[in-house]
Amino acid sequence: MYTPYLSWLLLAPVILSLAIIAAQRVGWRKMLLVEILHLVSISSALVLGLLVLRGVMTQGSVIALSDWLHVDALAAVFLLIVIVVGFLVGVYSIGYIRNDVKTGELSEDRVSVYYALFSLFLFTMLLVVTANNIIMMWVAVEATTLGSAFLVGVYGHRSSLEAAWKYVIICTVGVAFGLYGTILVYSDAVNFMQQPGAAILWTEIVKNAKALDSTLLKLAFVFVLIGFGTKAGIFPMHAWLPDAHSEAPSPVSALLSAVLLKCALLVIIRFSIILNQGIGPEFTHNIFLVFGALSVASAALFMFVQRDIKRLLAYSSVENIGLIVLGLGIGGAAGVLAALLHTINHSLVKSLMFCTSGNILMKYHTRDLGKVKGMLQAAPFTSLLLMVGALALVGSPPFNIFVSKFSIISAGIHAGHLILMIVCLLFLAVVFVAFLRVISSTVFGELPEGVARGEFKPYILAPVAILMALIVVLGLYLPPQIHLLLNQATQVALVGEPMVDALNLLAERGGAFLPLVQLGIAP
Amino acid sequence: MNPYDLINSLSGLLILTSLLVIETKKIRLSAIYYMVQSLVLVLIFLALATIMHAEQLYWWAASAFITKALLVPYVLNRAQRLMADAEPPKAAVSPSVSLLLAAVSLVISFIVINQLDLKIAAEFRPALAVSVAHFFFGQLCILTQRNLLKQVLGFCLMENGSHLTLALLAHDAPELVEIGIATDAVFGVVIMVVLAVQIYKNLHTLDAASLTSLKG
Repeated sequence: MYTPYLSWLLLAPVILSLAIIAAQRVGWRKMLLVEILHLVSISSALVLGLLVLRGVMTQGSVIALSDWLHVDALAAVFLLIVIVVGFLVGVYSIGYIRNDVKTGELSEDRVSVYYALFSLFLFTMLLVVTANNIIMMWVAVEATTLGSAFLVGVYGHRSSLEAAWKYVIICTVGVAFGLYGTILVYSDAVNFMQQPGAAILWTEIVKNAKALDSTLLKLAFVFVLIGFGTKAGIFPMHAWLPDAHSEAPSPVSALLSAVLLKCALLVIIRFSIILNQGIGPEFTHNIFLVFGALSVASAALFMFVQRDIKRLLAYSSVENIGLIVLGLGIGGAAGVLAALLHTINHSLVKSLMFCTSGNILMKYHTRDLGKVKGMLQAAPFTSLLLMVGALALVGSPPFNIFVSKFSIISAGIHAGHLILMIVCLLFLAVVFVAFLRVISSTVFGELPEGVARGEFKPYILAPVAILMALIVVLGLYLPPQIHLLLNQATQVALVGEPMVDALNLLAERGGAFLPLVQLGIAP
Repeated sequence: MNPYDLINSLSGLLILTSLLVIETKKIRLSAIYYMVQSLVLVLIFLALATIMHAEQLYWWAASAFITKALLVPYVLNRAQRLMADAEPPKAAVSPSVSLLLAAVSLVISFIVINQLDLKIAAEFRPALAVSVAHFFFGQLCILTQRNLLKQVLGFCLMENGSHLTLALLAHDAPELVEIGIATDAVFGVVIMVVLAVQIYKNLHTLDAASLTSLKG
């Protein structure tokens, strides 16, 4: 009964994107009409997505289009991120883009293009997380690049066009490797599954993974990691990320960092599940540990020297993707669950931070941390948002990232990676210093001349305030639905292994050091 | 002529046309060589369709003809005319170096394909190795050429390589998959070309090496 919701979830943003383009031709109150259609688009994605999630919670999975679309608990975690962040950032977009029009950064015609592409970008990400056909997964990831390239370069400045060009070239070249990985898996699967229609479905390949050739699988995974890892921002394939994240309009930066990277990561997780089933988890675990640790280390060093707030946040995304990949590399119920929890938590915090950096840009017209001072006097609520976001990002309690970062490190220590975890903690300390510097230099100090005092309009602050509320709540309490969803998603990732309550496991292992996790799982 | 030999010989022609696309200085001429290469690819699809009795490959041939042999060269030509007075940037490496790199990637592709336990007729292995090498030729073009439109052609070469791999290894995949990949490829070219035109109009350059304002 949930199938139509899944079909409409994908159709609605496409139809509304076309409607926005059509509305551009209407002369009367064009901007308002386009904004209403944009709101309908993001709201419909939210509502339909939540209905699909309910389907997953009640019947395990939702399928559509002859199994080509498939949302299990694992996909549901990522779907939740797409729809919630997509909605909140979409609402924030309205105030941000209005300001761009007012200051002459964007023309009214470009605004329609922006909103049409926003919906299209949302559609491509929804397609990535709901695809079951492995080649379609690749097509969808490639489409995310094409859908967002103009969003990155929408301002038409020298630097934004440069960022858009690098983004398209690096990501299309990188993602093309992913296609080879995909073809290798499919061509091997089709030999013994006989039915090409089934051999292309992830759900069927996982069932028959043991029959796949081990050398081919390993080669395919390397291709997949290079390909989709480029899109996910894993070191050293992350070169496009700081440029695109910093040059895009802030709401787009939020979508790129909070949602897009995670979508690509889901595809990597899907392929790692096939490998773990086929040849055991050792191969993927080792690769994940190496690339995860390298991402954390390199990003921390880049962050330490950054003076541009959006580039700093971009490198922080590489660091957090690294942490998630580390969690996957640690493996087992505890590692995977901690990684998935961190995926949700980082998405919320990073979208809050990019929206806040958007407010800073609107107020100070610069991203240079040396020039942004005295925010507490200029916009007190925005500085509160920035402080909460920055403290959450470095993993300080009582915010959500503390719980997931601690869970990853704790899972790592229990899995016998003590030295690696200590090294990671040292790099996380570097990150801590980098963000404390941001707070001390931007929030306090003398307000520069020419910067107007006064807080932003409520419709700009409201979506970011909701993000802040979610960050605080998830730091103290994990709703039973999310607890159940995360446990089910972990089960999907560890297919075939005995079912455990991974979150309880984590809480027990954390013992007295994890009171917040304990608190979180209390119903 | 043995039909397998025909396919492998046509694959050889792909290499030749690729090198011409990469090394030719004028974009118009490069686009024509690309068109010739796409016609060769269409012929390979037709030959494969006959030998493997794979009817869907006739459709692949038809869609490749429309998108690769007609549409992409047309788009590139239009873009080139818009930027006719641009000074074409030089390549980052000399032709002899890029030929050497191409030769190395060809040898590596043959060695790797021969090592793999792929369930594909031994007769098609040379064509498969060529398709993989072709993918790397495209990357080589992007890495060694500084002209933005040449980089777009590099993407097209990569795409031709992966399309041939797909035809050899996954031609029985559902039709919609091929449509999706072909659509991505066409949109990819159009978006890159539009971006290149915007860059030329705003920054008055087609040289990727001059895009250096973002660092660190």
